[in-house]
Amino acid sequence: MWLNRLWRKKRLRRTGITEINIWRLQALFNNFRRILFLNNAVLEEMTHLERTLGGEFIFDNSFLEASVRTLASRVHHVTYNLNALTGNSYIPLYDSYQRIRTILDDILSGNTRALAAVPVLPLYQVSWELEQLVGVDLVCLAELQHHPGIQAARGFVVTSEGSRTLFRQMISPGAAGKDFTADDVRAGMAEQFRQLLDNRRARRFSVVVTGIDEQVDLVTEIARFFLIPDREKNRIEIVADPPPFEKLPFRVLDRQDPDMDERDRWIDQYVHSLEQIVHFLLSSDPEEEVVDVAERIVIFVRCSPVPAITGSVETRRGGRSITDSLTIIARTPELVDLPDTYRLRRTYPFDILQSILPPRPAGYRFADGRLATSHTVTQSGHGCERGSALLSGKILKSLAETSMTLERVLGMPVTIEWDILEDGSCYITRLYQMQAALDQVAASELAEVEASAAILCQGGQMVQSGVGAGRVVHVSDEMSPAEFPAGAVAVARFASPQLTPVLQRAAAVITEYGTATGHLATVARELRLPALFGVAKACSLLPSGIEVTVHAGESKVYAGVLDILLRKGTGELSFSPFDQEYRTLRRLLRFIMPLSLIDPEAANFSPEGCRTFHDIIHFCHEKAVDELAHFQERRPGLGAIRTSRMQLGVPMDIRVLDIGGGLAADCQANPLPADIRSDPFAAFLEGLLQPGAWADNQPSLGFRDIVSSMPRSMGMLTGPVDALGDNLAIVGNEYVNISLRLGYHFSVVDAHLGSDDSRNYVYFRFAGGLADPERRGRRARFIRDVLKAMDFKVSVKGDLVIGRIKSDQPRILRAALSALGALTAFSRQRDTSLYSDEDADILFRLFAEMFLVQFQHVVSDIYGEWESQAEFSSAATAG
Amino acid sequence: MNKLDIAVKRLRILVLDDEPIVCKRLKPTFEKMGHIVETFIDSSSALKRLRETVFDLVITDLKMEGADGMQVLLGAKESSARTQVIVITGFATLETASESLRKGAIDFIAKPFKISDIVACVKRLEKQYCCSQVPEVVPS
Repeated sequence: MWLNRLWRKKRLRRTGITEINIWRLQALFNNFRRILFLNNAVLEEMTHLERTLGGEFIFDNSFLEASVRTLASRVHHVTYNLNALTGNSYIPLYDSYQRIRTILDDILSGNTRALAAVPVLPLYQVSWELEQLVGVDLVCLAELQHHPGIQAARGFVVTSEGSRTLFRQMISPGAAGKDFTADDVRAGMAEQFRQLLDNRRARRFSVVVTGIDEQVDLVTEIARFFLIPDREKNRIEIVADPPPFEKLPFRVLDRQDPDMDERDRWIDQYVHSLEQIVHFLLSSDPEEEVVDVAERIVIFVRCSPVPAITGSVETRRGGRSITDSLTIIARTPELVDLPDTYRLRRTYPFDILQSILPPRPAGYRFADGRLATSHTVTQSGHGCERGSALLSGKILKSLAETSMTLERVLGMPVTIEWDILEDGSCYITRLYQMQAALDQVAASELAEVEASAAILCQGGQMVQSGVGAGRVVHVSDEMSPAEFPAGAVAVARFASPQLTPVLQRAAAVITEYGTATGHLATVARELRLPALFGVAKACSLLPSGIEVTVHAGESKVYAGVLDILLRKGTGELSFSPFDQEYRTLRRLLRFIMPLSLIDPEAANFSPEGCRTFHDIIHFCHEKAVDELAHFQERRPGLGAIRTSRMQLGVPMDIRVLDIGGGLAADCQANPLPADIRSDPFAAFLEGLLQPGAWADNQPSLGFRDIVSSMPRSMGMLTGPVDALGDNLAIVGNEYVNISLRLGYHFSVVDAHLGSDDSRNYVYFRFAGGLADPERRGRRARFIRDVLKAMDFKVSVKGDLVIGRIKSDQPRILRAALSALGALTAFSRQRDTSLYSDEDADILFRLFAEMFLVQFQHVVSDIYGEWESQAEFSSAATAG
Repeated sequence: MNKLDIAVKRLRILVLDDEPIVCKRLKPTFEKMGHIVETFIDSSSALKRLRETVFDLVITDLKMEGADGMQVLLGAKESSARTQVIVITGFATLETASESLRKGAIDFIAKPFKISDIVACVKRLEKQYCCSQVPEVVPS
C-alpha cells in the first residue's frame, strides 16, 4: 500500500499536478451542499410566508417577527457559505444582506424611514411597501396599471416624508431629512412636472392633499387645489376646489432667474405653488416652529384638463337595496346640479338595472357635438337606446368593472371619481374607502342563505380568500386575455402561469389541478383574487355560462349570485389591506420574495444589485455553481479536481462532478449512463441520448452568420482555454446543475428532484447561437414554445430564454428534464435553418411529435386525457 | 307528518388574545356558525367576564401580559367545570402543550393556524354537546 502511495506521489511530482487535499475538497463540497440545502429551506419558508397572505391562516405579529428572524438567519448563512466556498470573493454581499435586514426590521417596528429614500415618485411606481408613506388610496390607484380597463390619471406623489422635509426646511432653513434634502424634493417635483408637461410649457394640474393619521392608520382628504396657468400674467393661480370662503394666502413667485428657459420658469412656479400649499396646510401659524409630528401629508399631483364629463362610482351605498348594485353618477360642467344616476349589477356582466336621467335643455349637445335628440345614438347592446344619457353602456360597464377590481384590491367597498375628456378617454382620478355605514348583515341571515344555497362543488385548496361572483367562463392557455369577459369567473383545468393575464380580468378563479405554492397562486394572492385550486371535476361541475358565487374562504362554489355573501365577503370574512398585519406582511414580502436578478450575464448581477433575500440566495446559488464549474482554472494551486468524462456514445463530452450520491460508488473512471444515481441527471440523459435528437443534416454556416455572432462568441471565447468546450454536470443524488457549451450556444439546466415535492423544480437557461440575429431570435422562440408546452414560466430577452417549472409531480419534472435533454441535442445549429417564422413553427411541430409525446403521456396518465392532440401541439404556438 | 329537527347547540364562546387581529378574524367566523362570541384583548377583563358568565368554550392565547393563558385556563375551569378551553400560541413547545392538556384544555393549537382547523375543533365540540343532550323536536 505504502509503495503505491509513494509511486503516486512520484508520478504527480513529475507531471507537476498536485493532488487536491481531500479534506479541503470535502469542505468545499460541504459548503456547496449547504448552500443548496439552505436555499431550498429559504424558498420553502418564503413560500409559506407568502401563502399566509391569502387569508387561509390566522397569524399575528409574533409570527411575522419569527419568520423574518428565521429567514434572515438562513440567508446570512448562505452568504457566509458562498464566501467560504469562494475564498471571501463576495464580502459586499454582507452589506446587501444587512441593508435588506434593516429594512425588514424597520417594517416590523412600523418605522418607515428605511422606505423613505425617494421623496417624489410617479404614481405608477407606487407600490404596497410605500403604503405608509403615500396612503392606501394611492397604492390602489397605482395598482390599476396591473389590470386592463380604465387606468388612473397620470400623476406623481410627494410622500409624507417629502412634504415633511420641505416644511421643516421652510421653518428651519438648516434642517434636512434623513436621506434627502428639501432641494432634492424640489428637484424631484420639478422633474415630475417636466414629465407631465410633455411638450407643453404649462397646463392645468390638480393637487389633492391627504393626511395619514399614524395613530389609527387612516387616510383622509385634507384639501384640493387646481394649479391653473395664467399665460397673460405669466403665473400660476392656485385655486382651491371647492373654493373656500376665505382667500388663501398664497404668494406669487415674483422673482425668477431671467436667464431661465420659459418652460423651466413655469416648472419653477409649479414647484413653488406646491411648496406654498405644504406650508399653508402644515402650519396654522406661520411663526410656529414646531412641526406636528403626527401630521403626515401626502400630495398627489395629476394632469387635469377640463373634463367633458365627470362623476363617481360607489360600489355600495349605505342602507339596504333589494338587489345588490353599484351606483354611477355623471355630470357635465354646465349641468352640475342635474347629474345622471345609473345603477348596475356588481357582478359580470354588470347589467344596467336603472338609470335616472334629468331632462336636458332644448338643443343640448354632448361634448362630441351631437344633439341629445340626434338619431346617431350608441346602442348599449341590451335593448336600451342611449338617448340623452351622458354615458354609453360600454363606458358604464368599464367603470363598473374597474371599480369592482378596486374594491377587491382594497378589500373594502370604494368610491371612485373619474373624468371623461373631450376625446372620450376616461381616467380614474380619486379613490376613497366607503364612507357610508353599511347595513350590517346578521350572521344568522348569512348562515341561512348559505344553508339554502345549492353547492355546486367544494374542496380543493384555498389560495386566496374572499368572495367573487359572476358567469363561468372556461379558460385555457390558448385564450387571449381580450377574449375573456372582464368580471367573469375563470375555470381552468390547470393552474398554468400562462393564465396570468386572464386573472387580471377575472372575479374569481377555480382550477382542477394546481397547488397553493405555484406561480399562478402567487399571482392570485398579488391580485387579491378569490382562488380555489385542486377542485376535483371543476370543469364538468361548473359549465360555461352559469352564474356562481365563489366563497374561497370556505372552499365552496354556490349556484347563482349570493348578494349577501358578496356583501359580507369584502368585509370581515376576508383578510384585507385594512388589517395592519396584512399590510406589514405585504411590505415584508416586497423585500423578501421578488427576484430581480435573473440574467447572470447582466451588469446588475452583483452583490450590489441584490434587492431582496430572494436575489441574494439566487446570486449565491449561481455563483456557487459557477465556482465549482470553474474551480480548476481559478484555483490552479489547489490542483486537479476530480471530474470524470462520461461515455455517452454521442458527439458530446460531458464531465461529471459528483458532490454526493450522484454516481454509483463502484463506477468506472469514465462513467456510463447506467452509473448515474442522480435522479434529475438520469432523466436529462435519457432525453439527450435519444437517437432522433442528433440529426446529421445541419445546414452550413454562411459568412454573415459567423460574423454576426462574433461579438458574443468572442466574449465567450476569451475565457480560460481549459473551460471551453467542457460541458460540466455537477450531480448529487437529488440535484443536478449542467453547464453546456454546445457549438456556439450556452445553456444551463438546474434541477432538484427529491422526496420533498415542495422543493422540486427545473430551471433552464439558453443563449447564443451562430446565426444572424433574426434566426437566433426564431430559435429562442422555438425554445420558448417548447418550454411553454410543458407549462414552464418563460421569459425571453433577445436570444436569452429562461424557463422555470415547479411541480409536486416528480414524474412530470422527470419528463420535462428528458425533453430538455432531447432539446439540447435537437437544437444544435438549428438557428441556421430558421429562415422564416414558419420554419420555427415547423420545427416546433417536429420536436413536439418526436419528443413531447412522452411528456404528454405522463401528464395524461396523471391528470387524464388532454382534449385533443391538436390542443397540446398548438398550446405554445398560439402563446 | 312533522319533520324532526334537532336544535344545534348554540355555544357561548370567549376569545382572548392580546393581538386584535386574532379576535377580529375569529369572531365573524364563529358568529356565522351561529354562536355567541365575546372577544377580549386583555386577560384581566376576560377573567372578570368569566366570573360573571358561564361560557361553553374559551379560546385563549398563552403568552400575554398580566394573567397568562394558563391562569385563564384555570379561571375558566373554576367558573364552570363544563367550560371547555382551547389554547392557541405562537410559542408552541411540548412542555406547554402537555401542561395545557394536563390542566384541562381540550386542544392546543400553534400559530399560525388555519381557520378551518379551529372551526373543525369547534364543530367537534358542537357534536359533543348535541350528543350529550336530548334533542328538541321542532315541528317544521
